[in-house]
Amino acid sequence: MGMGYAEHGGHGGQVAGGRSVTSLVADPRRPADVSVTLAAGKERFRLPSGRAFDGFTLNGGSPGPVIRATLGQLVEVRLVNGSVPDGITLHWHGVDVPNAADGVAGVTQDAVRIGEEHVYRFIADQAGTFWYHSHQMSHEQVRGGLLGALVVTPPEQPAETVDVVALVHLYDGVRTVNGNEGDVRVTVPPGKRARVRIVNTDNGPMSAWVGGASYRLVAVDGTDLNRPDPVRDTGVLVTAGGRADVEVTMPEDGSPVRVHLGGTTAVVLGSKSYDAPVVRPPATTLDLLSYGMRASLGFDPNRPDRRFDYDIGRRPGFLRGRPGLWWTVNGSIFPDVPMFVVNEGDVVRMRISNHSGDVHPMHLHGHHAVVLSRNGIPAAGSPWWVDSLNVADGESYEIAFVADNPGIWMDHCHNLPHAAEGLVAHLMYEGVTTPFMIGGTEGNEPE
Amino acid sequence: MVAVYRISAIAVMVEVAIQSMSVVFGIAGQGKWIQEGGVLDKAVIEAREFVFPEVIGYLIHGLNGTILIPLTALILLVSSFFTKVPGAVKWASLVLLAVAVQITLGMSASGLPVLGALHGLNALLLLGAAFYAARLVRRSRTADQGDRLASRA
Ligand SMILES: [Cu+2]
Repeated sequence: MGMGYAEHGGHGGQVAGGRSVTSLVADPRRPADVSVTLAAGKERFRLPSGRAFDGFTLNGGSPGPVIRATLGQLVEVRLVNGSVPDGITLHWHGVDVPNAADGVAGVTQDAVRIGEEHVYRFIADQAGTFWYHSHQMSHEQVRGGLLGALVVTPPEQPAETVDVVALVHLYDGVRTVNGNEGDVRVTVPPGKRARVRIVNTDNGPMSAWVGGASYRLVAVDGTDLNRPDPVRDTGVLVTAGGRADVEVTMPEDGSPVRVHLGGTTAVVLGSKSYDAPVVRPPATTLDLLSYGMRASLGFDPNRPDRRFDYDIGRRPGFLRGRPGLWWTVNGSIFPDVPMFVVNEGDVVRMRISNHSGDVHPMHLHGHHAVVLSRNGIPAAGSPWWVDSLNVADGESYEIAFVADNPGIWMDHCHNLPHAAEGLVAHLMYEGVTTPFMIGGTEGNEPE
Repeated sequence: MVAVYRISAIAVMVEVAIQSMSVVFGIAGQGKWIQEGGVLDKAVIEAREFVFPEVIGYLIHGLNGTILIPLTALILLVSSFFTKVPGAVKWASLVLLAVAVQITLGMSASGLPVLGALHGLNALLLLGAAFYAARLVRRSRTADQGDRLASRA
């Protein structure tokens, strides 16, 4: 199966000398600083909440272990398939890894079959909150729990900040935080700070809000925001696949703070007491278009080398021979979708617009893009870098990024059933080729 | 063909009844679930799970409304051309039109909820059109029989 028609975004296409995705790797001579082995299984098991679940495990449980690295370290993960019949991969969501480590079955590797293994190597070159998940049959395997959190911290950790991972996942429709239902208690002394790293691993956006203290949204999608102000009575929308780091300074009187994660679950920060009252979801949502202070982007998005449209619609038609109402990219149904072709070093501008009747969390692999405007209104706050962007029905975003990570990269909806329904495009560097195939004898099914 | 026409018209009526029953069944189940502490947001909806058993109501509403009813209305229209009953084609066309309007309203309602209200109203128009179509052939068939009886006499 092809990957769509080439779209050059205002540049002629010329094929430079071929490079295989398999050659785009981290320095193979450099030893690993962080080594992890993850063994995957398909089984019935107990979640940390105690509930039994039929799904996928990593090292015997789900979610998989939190992988922690310090900025600049080389992370090496050995993935072993113990018993997943369809095969597996791991994608490092939000980490701009070398292409060979991107973990997309049929694009950057073959799915790892039972008894086989695959090694991922990348440098943790950005401090922030990330996650990993299978990108083989991802609409099934992510739902089924083949995922975990990845946290990269700066070498000099801000002292006296309690670091809390809050990986949110729905197992059989039941919302959990790190696999637990209800309240997850974390001890934070009065006057001290906590950084709650919210990861939305589900297929739709969720809201987070804080009761008992003000908070600052200090990072989005693994990128720190510039000078974020404290806010109160305001919610944060975390899109599917997206991350939001919420920083709370604990009240001096020792009263607890409740960080609501979508209603039924919460992280409760406290010391003497964890009796934080439930608060209603706030009426206002933090608008990142005007939050924090402006700062340099490090490149000029006003003189792009390429301009692309990623226009999402919906119409009746046939997808792989099946009649139905299907998503369209620039008017056509998969596989008649664009492949955005770039050269290394290009400044790329992309307009993502959505008139499909549903929200789409758009996820670009291997790059972070900065939001320039929404519905024509220019961004006026902190640089807002995303790898997962919530594009609601009727919205239109201008984003820009520098093509600085050669490879073949998916650019798709992270509502994974939508991706399986054809809401997928690719970003393709001139001259990069892949020996892998979607479908074929290896049975690679990235969506 | 008159029988096909009549049966499909009645089938549309039955399916419309199932539609109103199934959607309220879903809403009621959702209300009960929320009363018991369930929280519904977009992520939960997109999980496509049976978080409460009455989700089946929404599922039936969706499948019936987008596949079964349009198919039945199509059969009604096709058969109408062979009934030779005056008005049969007109009423079958009205049924199909109401179905098309109904699907459009239903699909657009989450963007503009007032269209949901019209979806509820149009359901009654669709029911009325299907009812009239069913009666039309019964009436003309009785008329046929009357003619035959008259000619025999
Ligand atoms: Cu989508």
